[in-house]
Amino acid sequence: MTTEPVGGPSSVHRIAGHLVLGLLSLLCVFPIYWLYATSLRVPGDVSELSPLPWPLSTDNYADALEKNDVAAMLLNTGIVAVLSAFGQLLVGLLAAYAFAAWRFPLQRLIYLLFVGTWLVPFQATMLPNYVLLARLGLLETLAGVIVPNLCSALGVLLLREHLKSFPKELLDAARMDGRSSWTALWTVVVPALRPALAALGILLAITAWNEYFWPAMVLQRSNAVVQLGLRSFMGTEGNDWGPLMATAGLACLPVFALYLVLQRHIVNAFVRSGLK
Amino acid sequence: MRRSLFAAGAAAMLALVTAACGLGSSDAGSEGNTGPVPELGADQRVSIVFESYNFGQAGAWTDTFNELIAAFEKEHPNISVTAQKPQGNSANPATDTISSLQSQLTAGSPPDVVQLGFSDLDFTVNQLGAKALDDLVGENAVQANFDGEEYPYAEAARKLGDWDGKTYGVPFVFSTPMLYYNKQLFSQAGLDPEQAPAKWSEVRDSAKAVAGRTGKDGVYVDCLTKAAKDWCFQSIVRSNGGRVISQDRSKLTFAEQPVVEVVSTMQDMVKGGAMPNLTQMQAVEAFARGDLGMIVESSAIQGTFLKGAGDEWELGAGAMPSFEGTQAVPTNSGAALFVFSADQAKQRAGWELIKFLTSERAYTTIASKIGYLPLRTGLVEDPDGLKSWAEQNPYLEPNLEQLGRLEPWVSMPGTSYLQIRDGMMEAVENVVFQGADAEATLRAEQGELSKLLPGGGR
Repeated sequence: MTTEPVGGPSSVHRIAGHLVLGLLSLLCVFPIYWLYATSLRVPGDVSELSPLPWPLSTDNYADALEKNDVAAMLLNTGIVAVLSAFGQLLVGLLAAYAFAAWRFPLQRLIYLLFVGTWLVPFQATMLPNYVLLARLGLLETLAGVIVPNLCSALGVLLLREHLKSFPKELLDAARMDGRSSWTALWTVVVPALRPALAALGILLAITAWNEYFWPAMVLQRSNAVVQLGLRSFMGTEGNDWGPLMATAGLACLPVFALYLVLQRHIVNAFVRSGLK
Repeated sequence: MRRSLFAAGAAAMLALVTAACGLGSSDAGSEGNTGPVPELGADQRVSIVFESYNFGQAGAWTDTFNELIAAFEKEHPNISVTAQKPQGNSANPATDTISSLQSQLTAGSPPDVVQLGFSDLDFTVNQLGAKALDDLVGENAVQANFDGEEYPYAEAARKLGDWDGKTYGVPFVFSTPMLYYNKQLFSQAGLDPEQAPAKWSEVRDSAKAVAGRTGKDGVYVDCLTKAAKDWCFQSIVRSNGGRVISQDRSKLTFAEQPVVEVVSTMQDMVKGGAMPNLTQMQAVEAFARGDLGMIVESSAIQGTFLKGAGDEWELGAGAMPSFEGTQAVPTNSGAALFVFSADQAKQRAGWELIKFLTSERAYTTIASKIGYLPLRTGLVEDPDGLKSWAEQNPYLEPNLEQLGRLEPWVSMPGTSYLQIRDGMMEAVENVVFQGADAEATLRAEQGELSKLLPGGGR
């Protein structure tokens, strides 16, 4: 007697599948292992190629903390990531709600304009954005990093797609209950969209956390965010790999923690989107 | 209706784009000073911005420069300096200097004093509008600064920031190409660890010995790729009597026989197993790790090698190798300080900062804390200056010795100077590391790149 489903893969195929997946996982994990391995080597051994770092040393972490204010960098990067993601979610939610729940003139054109902004490469809008920030006096500030990124076309697109399959009857019922469209948004739509909002939120927060190009333009006088701090260990006179890897290792931890906390929602959201 | 909406949208976009592109372009290149800018009054407060790639690197670089800026502000209480690194996303902030300056000029707020590389000199003066220091403060003041209080600039370094007979930039930081080698690997290969190879033929033979007897790689010449730029390629070419561009800078000449010989010699080293096919970064890391016998590299990287060597192997250094019967011609990499401010008070304050940063005192601090070559070379004899530092630094001597034979790194002309430089180095890289035919490849590339010269190279 067997417990395998009829027509399921044979055990040979299953083992082969697991082997391939295991190898792929190793390939994905290896750079992260190497990052932490290098960061834990004795400073004189950072160029060594031995797979196991020995003896272990935290000198590179001490060096990184001495040369840069890593705690402040992580805090600033966290502020930028959270505010950018929050702003993009809010704008995305309101825009998607409008597109999905109402019919209004030029709706398609306006939606296409939103989509269109996704097609314009950042490099094309970079200079006008920079000039605008200079005029607003927002250069060298965290606000300068956040404000031009408060709207994400991706957020609008994704949430609109989710809202399109949201049953209109629920909105009608809420209206018959006497709820305003604003109340209906927060009491009916948002609770139903929670997995999608969590998945999108983490995606946007990680993108903002890893953003390097725009902060490098705006924050010229400091290394206020961690991605700029990483670059400060590279230069004309060679790269300082030890503290660079130590800072990169520290920069990965908050993102990893965020993923662990929100993992269930993310898997949920992707499974649901895939089933549609 | 739909069409008119699109037309209105397109017009609005066009207006936005043109407005954005037009901003700030009026200032670049403006001259108009009729005499030296006035000295600052004792109670005249001025704020200036100083942009240097040294602020992009944490540790000794940023710390030393912050220390110098603080000392300057203490000495000049009426001038406050805001330091910044170039904008941009390159791993090496020194490669972002020009694009950073361009975008700030576009935004209408260029920094007042900027540290820029010598290979950008033509573009810096003729396109970006650096101010001629001779016009701002007078030729005598500029020359008096070179003469210094006690120790003058090395003769070869004085004119590196000059254009058409005027000084635009004061040379500031500086390095020459050196041959570094691993004494342990030399001993293991049966070579004299106290004797650096002086000729390219000796470099090739030593590299083959290291590769054959130790199993490590022989030599890497970090002058032959696009990533290396062309500063030390020019040095090797000049050492063989050639030039990559004619002396009047009107014609590219990197397909001529002396250059073809140089590139073929390097290709032979790769084909013969003396030189590994590595990227610049791989080679620097391999040498620091002790896996490479020799490397021709900028003296600026020496700190990385000393750190990598630690207690495990000993670093040796020699001057740039020469070809048979000729003397090597070293070129320099490095940067000078330029003034971009349009405001007279800021121009004067900028000049005060330049004088301070190139003073005996500043060079003593910079050389001892960062390791840069002091351009006031007499300081290495001064017991109160850098004498003890020089005695502890046995690699300094070949570097100083090369200064006497130095030729400037020639910048390519016109607005497409970077494409010309990069295109030439890509062709060299193709020949040396990919095995392309030297003469045909260089000739074809020279023909193409000549079209980018001002006037199409005619």
